[in-house]
Amino acid sequence: MLSRVADSLFWMARYMERSDGILRMLKVNYNSSQDNLSDFSWQPVLKVFTYLDGPAIIELDNESSEVLRYMILDKENDNSVQNIVIHARENARSVQDNVTIEVWQCLNDFYHLIRDERHINSLAEGDAISVIDLMVKQCLVYYGTVDITMSRGSGYCFMSLGKFLERALQSIDILDVKLGSMSAEDTQAYDTLYWKYLLMSVSGYKLYLKNYQSGFEARNVVHQIVLNTHFPRSVIYSLDHLHRNFEQLSAYLDKASFDELNFEIGKLRSKVRYSTLNDIEAMGLHTYLADIKKDLSDISSKLNQYCFAYS
Amino acid sequence: MQHTNIFESYHIGEGTFDEMYQGKDVRTAYQGIFNFLKSNSPEDLTMKEELSKRLFMSQGITFTVYSSGEGIEKIFPFDIIPRIITADEWDFVERGIRQRLKALNLFLKDIYSHQFILKDGIVPTDIIYSCPHFIREMHGLKVPHDIYVHISGIDIIRGGDGTFYVLEDNLRTPSGVSYMIENREITKRIFPDVLRRNSVRSVTQYPTLLHKNLKSLSPRQVANPTVVLLTPGMFNSAYFEHTTLARLMGIELVEGRDLVVENHKVFMKTTYGLQQVDVIYRRVDDDFLDPLVFNKESVLGVAGIMSAYRKGNVAIVNAVGNGVADDKAIYTFVPDMIKYYLNEEPILSNVPTYHCADPEQLEHVFANISSMVIKKTNGSGGYDMLMGNSATEKEIEDYKKAVIKEPRQFIAQPIISLSTTPCYINGKLTPRRVDLRPFALFGPEGIEIVPGGLTRVALKEGSMVVNSSQGGGSKDTWVLA
Repeated sequence: MLSRVADSLFWMARYMERSDGILRMLKVNYNSSQDNLSDFSWQPVLKVFTYLDGPAIIELDNESSEVLRYMILDKENDNSVQNIVIHARENARSVQDNVTIEVWQCLNDFYHLIRDERHINSLAEGDAISVIDLMVKQCLVYYGTVDITMSRGSGYCFMSLGKFLERALQSIDILDVKLGSMSAEDTQAYDTLYWKYLLMSVSGYKLYLKNYQSGFEARNVVHQIVLNTHFPRSVIYSLDHLHRNFEQLSAYLDKASFDELNFEIGKLRSKVRYSTLNDIEAMGLHTYLADIKKDLSDISSKLNQYCFAYS
Repeated sequence: MQHTNIFESYHIGEGTFDEMYQGKDVRTAYQGIFNFLKSNSPEDLTMKEELSKRLFMSQGITFTVYSSGEGIEKIFPFDIIPRIITADEWDFVERGIRQRLKALNLFLKDIYSHQFILKDGIVPTDIIYSCPHFIREMHGLKVPHDIYVHISGIDIIRGGDGTFYVLEDNLRTPSGVSYMIENREITKRIFPDVLRRNSVRSVTQYPTLLHKNLKSLSPRQVANPTVVLLTPGMFNSAYFEHTTLARLMGIELVEGRDLVVENHKVFMKTTYGLQQVDVIYRRVDDDFLDPLVFNKESVLGVAGIMSAYRKGNVAIVNAVGNGVADDKAIYTFVPDMIKYYLNEEPILSNVPTYHCADPEQLEHVFANISSMVIKKTNGSGGYDMLMGNSATEKEIEDYKKAVIKEPRQFIAQPIISLSTTPCYINGKLTPRRVDLRPFALFGPEGIEIVPGGLTRVALKEGSMVVNSSQGGGSKDTWVLA
């Protein structure tokens, strides 16, 4: 496979994962912003998902519909969903011979949808949730289309690498910004709704209710988002799949590059797999997450260097 | 229920050949579609038209126009009414194109080797050496199977009495074939069952034929040679076509930066390392192909690719330097080439053409300028030409000055009144002028022409210019069995 193609597939998948993550997270936060929670704030979201500086964030904080506009549609915001979808489509467009026509058309439709004036207007004046739902659905169509139409060759593996790398980073970010800097006493202070919305924003609320019957506790939330192998957005689940997909690439990479990267990914996977909640608490959640993030970014730059270098 | 009103305002221009009507009667070939249209209300047809637009948009059959930093997707206008060619007409056109192509290919081989045709005085030497597309680097370069024109799009028009003429030969990187394929796909959706009922011949085999030809050119004798399509990249207006062809053939779509030349061999950069490339179907013009040989500024090409080509380590499709055979000044000599190389009478006629470089002919052109079209010999896309019947006096004067300055750069032709076909515009059928570009594939086993082609249509009322850059659109083209 051409290095440029591998690169584009990797990023196409990353961007799609990101747009899905942002949209879900926005929907839940928007919902919660309408709930008149005294401690609701857009600040954590704006801090993680935009490049805005402090004053700009404070200015936006109470303007829910302006936050949605900025994060979904703003052309000047590099990380707006619209720009992310444009990037995903451009990546797909340049590798159309390597994705199925269904995948391409799905991204093309998403692109036309998110630039459609009607939706842009109803996001501001109509029911914002319906518009976000429409977009989330487009992401679901993408996942399904990839799953049932793409052949399981190297292209699929590179897409999966992008998807799970991005997912791991997102879960880390969401958890870190909401919990990372809190002390144990702090966490006691929050009411049930806070935890509910945090879990919902990573689509993990239902699972939590089933698994952790003792009510809402910061420890359990951390466990689910970092260590629960059954939770498809947990860090460990993402790393397991990152590793599994990378192993499939052994035939498509030269041996030295493969071995080195395989070692790095495997090491990180084991590091998380064999940590306990006590380890994490001893180290401090923020430090622990920052360490994983650093490893992921090293892996990403090695992928770039060994697999995608073409210029 | 009968709806006849869409035909009401169909008025055929005087001295114009209409493809659908002969006087008041509908030609037999069009009877099927005529009946179909009659059974549909204008509202139905308008819905079909909208459906076609939506399908083009949703399938990404678009090109991007960049304005103020933002890309806007445009579709190449499509008219839903097909253009129909009878089996007899097609047979004639096909034979004509085969003959012409055979002669043009022999001409290229000759011009880049012994140049017998110049020595025998059939084609004047200065017209070759003054042609900017004559590539000296091609002299003596042996191309696989002596084929230069693997893919061609020869533009055909019909005059007032229905006679077919060749308007121009496109032998470099002719585009539009993806629209031949996609327009047909759209027709299937908007006119269900109509194709079968009219026994329209299929065009879907084009990518398979092309792929077979490309593989057969591989210099390495390997089971699965690496064939790639080289595109200038996604900012090119034909990018959609490049991706479509690569996808339909299952070959890799590469850009210049994906390729590298080492030891006179071409490689592509893959995740596994370098992989040798055997055949390149390039959609990059000669000028940009190799910065070491041609345009030094080019970043679209591959440094050293010409040396690999010269060594015979890679096949390039179409061959480099074909522009010398489709230059508008050389065009005049194609009938002579056919006689010279094949000892045959030309089947398809040329449009009469005057060389502005010849003072006598130039005088004639200027004297009859209102019925002439003057074109640049190396121009394309319908730009830089003068339509004598519609130009203002000032335009004519300015153009005359340009011609006098560099007469070699210009030719003139009497304006041919292109044939018209019905188009569905604003709820009515209206005649619009068309041409036809069939795509011929020249492989080691001979010439194959897929029954169909790209019908380009001048959508502006009265316009004779079918180029997409000048308000032209396209139609599905039916060749009947």
